[in-house]
Parts: sequence; structure tokens; C-alpha cells
Amino acid sequence: MVADGAKSQEIFHATLREAAQQAAAGEAPRDRLWFFRNARWRCLEAVEKGLQPEDVDIEEGELAEWAPSQIEKLEPQQFAIWISAAPDPQRTALALFYLDEFSYRDLLSVTELKPPELAKLLGRGRREFQAWLDATVPVTQQ
Amino acid sequence: MHLHCAPLRQEHVDDRALRTALHHACKTPAFAVQQSFDRAAAALVHAIPIPQEITDWIPADTYIPPARRPWKKYAQHPVFVATGIAVVVIAIVGIFQLVDRLNRFPGEATALRLLTTASSNKPMMLDPVKTDAGALGDFLFMKHRLAHYDVPPEFEDLKTLGCRVFDDEEGQRVVQVWVAEKKMQFFMFPGERDVKTGAAKHFNGWRHVDQDRWSGVVKEQNGVCFMAALRGSERDLAPYISKKKE
Repeated sequence: MVADGAKSQEIFHATLREAAQQAAAGEAPRDRLWFFRNARWRCLEAVEKGLQPEDVDIEEGELAEWAPSQIEKLEPQQFAIWISAAPDPQRTALALFYLDEFSYRDLLSVTELKPPELAKLLGRGRREFQAWLDATVPVTQQ
Repeated sequence: MHLHCAPLRQEHVDDRALRTALHHACKTPAFAVQQSFDRAAAALVHAIPIPQEITDWIPADTYIPPARRPWKKYAQHPVFVATGIAVVVIAIVGIFQLVDRLNRFPGEATALRLLTTASSNKPMMLDPVKTDAGALGDFLFMKHRLAHYDVPPEFEDLKTLGCRVFDDEEGQRVVQVWVAEKKMQFFMFPGERDVKTGAAKHFNGWRHVDQDRWSGVVKEQNGVCFMAALRGSERDLAPYISKKKE
């Protein structure tokens, strides 16, 4: 979400600390997704202080059958940076969706999106990523 | 619309609309392309190394506890609904049987048989006896040696038309009386006895029986049952038994 390992770790520790403080005060979070919601908001707060993604129309491309082979050529960090550059809530939607740890309803809950909004963000995200893949790892390079 | 949100794992599909959309689209080429795209991207995300300091804090277990289904979700499961309906039906049947058992009284079987007798007899079968019903007790004792075959106070003022004494199918001495009012009939018969001790089984108050559009009210006194029967319902007999005679 923040494309910075150190910041991510800091946010992780802060979230964990708050959870421990609440538990010590006898107010352990009842929401099972509290940890992720809290971490998400801390990420967004941290990013607010830095560069903001521009609200521009990004090129989109149709999903290609050979996209997996293009994705394999990428470094994980490249994908993380690409996601972190997306405006929120698309950033949150893509990050949590590709973590592949949340059920559909949990995803809607953590992202605080409605089904049509989530669908639109993910659909557009895929097409934008495909266009970026075509530019970064063109098919001729395989 | 929902297909854009299709998770990679089946266990993450927890929405009916999404499940339906996936069912229709699962074999389409476009969906297959999307799923392979997502799998590759997810594999890339999982390849991101997690710092050792973080894995030291949190063990490699599930991070998201499974959602607890509220009781309402369980209650809507077809198995529970079917079981619930079956239990309710069994409970209703049980309650009806319990109420029926509570309302039973000694001599009920004889009373029901005599209601059939009442519906099938004609007055000309009886010996003409025109008197007050209250005087029948003495008449029956003197003529037929039947003790305690008395008409209760609630019916003693009614005028009789005829009377007969016969043995029923169990060999019991039964008295049948025709009354002018509402073509009512009276039956007097021995009450039920305990099989072991031979003692008469008593019960308090008036009890009601119904059979084939005939209705009767039964009372026991001194081991003899009295039944007033007519063609109608319990309501037709209620005025007689509800009035108290001194």
C-alpha cells in the first residue's frame, strides 16, 4: 500500500501496539477485521504526507491470454510499487484482492466499498495493469 | 459485474449473487483469462518477502479468524428448517394427544357407544313413561332394582316421554330415557371399575363427548354415570349444566 518496506513495518508495529493496548485495557477489538482496517487507515495517513497519485486517465488494455507470462517476468516489488501508485480506493481494492486472503464479503467490509464499486475498480485495475505490462514487458520480449 | 470480483479460491465465494454469476461464467474464455491473470498477480504478491521481524511477531497461522455465522443464518438452512417444522408438528400432535388424554374420563368409551345408540333409536322402541325426570330414580329402583340410577338436579325438571332398560354389549344394565325437550335422551349406566380392586372410578364435574353430530354431557355419582345427549353441539347442552340448582 505504501511501497516502502520500512514504512510498512512501522505501520505494522503501530497497529500491533494499539491492539495490545486495547487488549490490556480490556477493550480487545471485537471486529475480526479490525487489524486490517486499522493498518489500512494508517497506510493511507502515511501516504497523505508524501506524493499523491495524479488523477489522470490511465491507458487500459484488454486482458491477454499471455498476461501470466508477462507477469512472471516482473519482480514482486514492481507490482507493489504499481499498486501503491494507484489512487485510493483502487489501491486498497487491488492490494487486498491480490493478497488472496479475504472472502468476497470480508473484502467489501475492509475496503468499505459497495459491490459495483469494487467490481469497477478491480476491472479497471486489471486493464490498466495489462496496459502497463504491455508497455513494460512487451510480448516481443518473451 | 460480480465476475470482476471473483476470488481465486472457492472458499472465498460467500455471496449468493457472486456464486450464481460464477456458475454461469465459469466456462467462458474471458473468465478463464481473468482467473489466470489474477493467479499470476497473486503469486507475485505472495512472492514479496515478509521481514523476519514481522514473522517473529506473528506465527504462520490464519490471520483472519473465520466469520461466525449469526444464528439467523443457521436457522435458514434447509436442514434446520425441515427439522424445525418436523419438531413443531410432533410437538403439536403431542399436545393434542396430551389434551385428549387429560380430557378422558372413566366410562368415556361406553358414553360414545351410547351416542351411536341414541342416533339410531326411535322413541317407539321405549316404554311410555310420562313423568318428571327427577322421579325416574325411584321408578327404576322399584321396577328394575337399579340403585343410584338418578337424574342429576340439572335435568330433573324435564318431562320424560319414554324409558327402556337393556343390556349393552358388555352386559351392563343401561337405562335410556326420551325427553320432550329438544328430543334429548338420557342414558344411565354403571361407571368404569378398577380391574384389580373392582372399585368404581370416580370423576368430578361434567365431561363432554361428541360423535357423528351428537353431543353428550356425562356426570358420575355413586358409581353410576348419567349422560344427557342430543343432536347438536356442546353449546346446546351448556345452558343445562351451567345453571346451579340448590
